[in-house]
Amino acid sequence: MKKIIKGTALLAACVTATALTGCADAGGGESGGSANLDIATLTLPQSLDPADATGSALPFFQAVYDTLIKREPDGRYSPMLATKWEYSADRTELKLTLRDDVKFDDGSPFDAAAVKANMERFAKGTGASAKTLADVKSIEVVDKTHVTLHLAQPNPAMLYYLSDAAGLMANPADFTKPGNPLKTKPDGTGPYDLDSKRTAIGTKWVYTRASDYWGAKLPYNELTFHYFNNETAVVNGLKTGQLNTALLQAADQQSRIESDPKVKTTKQEFDFQGLLLFDRDGKIAPALGDARVRQALNYAIDRKTMLDKLRQGRGQITDQIFGTQTAAYDQRFDSYYPHDPAKARELLKQAGYADGFSLKLPRITAIVPDALAASLQSDLQAIGVKVTWDVIDPSQVQKIYTDRKYPAMVMNIGQSPNDWVAIGGLVLPGVGNMFGTTDATVQGLLPKIQKASPEEAKTDLKALNEHLVKEAWFVPFYRMTYLHVSDGSVKVTPQAGMAVPSVYNYAPAK
Amino acid sequence: MTRFLARRGAAGAVLLFVISVLSYLLLSIPDNDVGRQILGGQAPQDLVDAKNAELGLDRTVLVQYADWLAHAVRGDFGTSWFTGEDVVQAISTRLPVTLSLMAGVTLVTAVLSLLLGVWAGVRRGAVDRFVQVLGVIGYALPGFLVTLVIVVVFAVRLRWFPAIGYTGLTESPSGWLATVTLPIASLSVAGVAGVSQQVRGAVIDVLRQDYVRTLRARGLPPSRILFRHVLRNAAAPALTVLGLQFVGLLGGAVLVEQIFGLPGIGSMTVTYTTRGDIPVIMALVMVTVIGVIAVNLLVDVMIGWLNPKARASS
Repeated sequence: MKKIIKGTALLAACVTATALTGCADAGGGESGGSANLDIATLTLPQSLDPADATGSALPFFQAVYDTLIKREPDGRYSPMLATKWEYSADRTELKLTLRDDVKFDDGSPFDAAAVKANMERFAKGTGASAKTLADVKSIEVVDKTHVTLHLAQPNPAMLYYLSDAAGLMANPADFTKPGNPLKTKPDGTGPYDLDSKRTAIGTKWVYTRASDYWGAKLPYNELTFHYFNNETAVVNGLKTGQLNTALLQAADQQSRIESDPKVKTTKQEFDFQGLLLFDRDGKIAPALGDARVRQALNYAIDRKTMLDKLRQGRGQITDQIFGTQTAAYDQRFDSYYPHDPAKARELLKQAGYADGFSLKLPRITAIVPDALAASLQSDLQAIGVKVTWDVIDPSQVQKIYTDRKYPAMVMNIGQSPNDWVAIGGLVLPGVGNMFGTTDATVQGLLPKIQKASPEEAKTDLKALNEHLVKEAWFVPFYRMTYLHVSDGSVKVTPQAGMAVPSVYNYAPAK
Repeated sequence: MTRFLARRGAAGAVLLFVISVLSYLLLSIPDNDVGRQILGGQAPQDLVDAKNAELGLDRTVLVQYADWLAHAVRGDFGTSWFTGEDVVQAISTRLPVTLSLMAGVTLVTAVLSLLLGVWAGVRRGAVDRFVQVLGVIGYALPGFLVTLVIVVVFAVRLRWFPAIGYTGLTESPSGWLATVTLPIASLSVAGVAGVSQQVRGAVIDVLRQDYVRTLRARGLPPSRILFRHVLRNAAAPALTVLGLQFVGLLGGAVLVEQIFGLPGIGSMTVTYTTRGDIPVIMALVMVTVIGVIAVNLLVDVMIGWLNPKARASS
C-alpha cells in the first residue's frame, strides 16, 4: 500500500507543482456571515416550473417563488403572500387575504387573479403534487387582495399544501409564452433570482439576492445548490469546507462525518421505513386478507436488530405510520409488536397458514439494499413466510402502482407533521393504498376527522392510529435518523414535514 | 495526405450515421412509456397520450429518427424531454469538464509513460524490474480504490487540493488546475501503467534491431540514437495504445466525475440514460463518436508523421 501511495503522490506532484496556490480560491463557499451558502443536495428537481414542484425539491423553488403561506420550522403557519386565512363554519370555504405590495420581476402585480391563475394551472397540471388541490372546486377572485377557495369537501391538509408546492406563485405572464420558459427561467416574487449564466442545470444552481424583495432579507447574498448522486462526494466537500451544509441519510456517511471536530450536526427523524401491505383484501395474496396474518408479520420482524445492524442504531423502532409531530402519534405504538416468532407462528396457524405462504415483493435496490433484503427474508422465513424479491429498475417504479402486481412493498416514507397528509398518503385510496381497502372503523372515523378542526380531531386521530396498528395495516420497521451537517459556519434548523430544510432555515453560526 | 484525410473523413461520416441509426433504434426499444415517466403514475392516460404526441412519440421509430436526423445535421439537437434544457447548451457546459480531464490524462500518461518506458527499456536490470512492478500494481488496482485513496489523502487529509467541484479554465486558470489535478492523477494511474509497458517493450525491440547495432558501431552518441532512431520507431505501438486509452477513459470518467462531483458528460450520460431522455443521449453519443473518430485519425496522422514507413504502407 505504501508503494501505491508513493506512486500516486509522485504522479500528483508531477502535475501540480504550480497549482497549490490555486487551491484556496477553487472552493467557493468561504465560511462566515453574509456571503454565500453552498448547499449539497441529492434531490434533482425535474424543472423549476412550479407545476413540476414536489415537496422534496421545495428549496429550489422557495429561493425564487414565495408560497401563499409560510411553514415555520416547527410546522406552524405564518403569513407570507397571504396575510390572513379563514375557514367557513363547514370548512368548505377558505378565504385568503393577500399582500398588496408585491410585484413580479416585470412589474406586474401579485394579486388575487395571479393566485387563481397559478392554482388552476397547478391543479390542471400533471406534476406529482397536482392532486393535492383535487378538493378545490373553484377559486373565486373577490377583489385584488381577496380570494376564496371553494372546496368540494373539507380538507384538513389544505393550509399545509398552500405552504408547500401548491402554494408557489409564479408570474402568470409566463404561462402563455411558447416553450414554457419557467422550466429553466423561474419568475416569481421570492428572495432570490436564478443566475442562469452560472447555473448548470443538473449539477449546480446559483441564486443571487433579488434586489427589491418585499420581505425580510435572508442572511445570505447567494445560495448555490450542488447536486450529487452519492454522499461520498458530499462528505468530502463538507470536510474540506467546499460545501457548507447537507443532509446525510446513509448511516456510514453519518458516522464518517461525526468524527470531524469542526463539523456541526443536528439530528432529525423524518422517513420511516417499512413494509406497506397493500393487499388487505387478499386479492392477489389471500393470506394478507386476514388481520392475524398481518399481525404475525409484525411479530416476526426483529426491528431492534435490524436498526442496530443496518443503520448503526440511528433511528427509533416503531409500529405506527404517524410521525412524532402528529396528533395521532402515540408512544405506546412504537413497541406494540415485540419480536416474537412463536406468537407469529401461532397466529399464522389460527389463520389457517400453519405451513406458511409465499410473498413476491418488488425491490428497488436503492431503497432495499442487500442487507435489508436478506434480513427481512430471514425474519419472515423464521415463521414460514417465503419472500422472493423482484428487482425493479427505479424508472419502472410507476408500474408497481399502475399494474398493481404486488401485494406489498418496502418503502421509505416521509412523515408529515400534518395528520391528514399522512392519511391522504397511506390510508385514503390512492398510491399508498392502491387496492383501496377500507373497513367500517376507518369509514366511520375519516369523515369526522375531515370535518373537524385540528383540536377537535385529536381523539379520532388517536383512535384511527390505534385501529391501524391493531389491524396491522402496515409493517413499519423504524423511523430513520437523518443528520443535518454543516461545516461549522452555518446553523441549520430542521424543517417539520421535510427532510431538507427550507431556504429560510439557514443562518450564520454564532 | 489530403486524400488520406478525405478518405478517413468519409469513413467517419458513414460510421457516425450507422451508429446514430443503431443508437436510436436501441434507445427506442426499452419498454418505458416516456410520457408516463415524465408525468408520473397518477396522470390520466389522455394526458400521457397527449404528452407522447407532443414529443412525437406516436410516430413510427423510423419517422422519429428521420426527424431527429434532419434537425441534427443542421446542428439542432432539440431540448431535453425531462428538464426542458436546450441540449446543445446543456452539453456545452459539461463538455469542457470531461475534455479537460481526458486531455490532461492523455498528456500526463504520454509524458510519464515515455519517461518510465524509455528508462526501463534502456537501463534494464533493477530499474526495469521496478518499472514493471509499478506497472503491474498500477494496472491491477481498481480505479475506484485509487481515486478514493487519492481524495482522502490529498484533499481531505492534506488539504492540498479541493475534494469536489470544477472551476472553468477561463474563470481562473489556477483554480482550474487545482480542481482537475486529482481527477487527472487518479485516471492516469492505469494509463501510465499500461502505456509505459508498451513503450518499454517497443524500445527494447528496437534496441535489438540490427540497424541500431550498426549505428552504435559507427560511434553515434547513444542519446542521438535514442531520440533520432529508437523513439521514432517505438512510437507507433505506444501511440496506438494511448489512443485506445483515451477512448476507454470515458468509462473511467463516469466514476471519477461522481467521486469528485464534477459536472462532466460522464455523470450526465448516466443520469440521462437511466431516464431515457433520447434527445440528450443521442447528442452525447454523437459527441463521443466524433471524439473517438478524431482521436483515431490523430493517432494515425502522428504515427505517419513520426515514421514515414508507416505512411507509405497505409
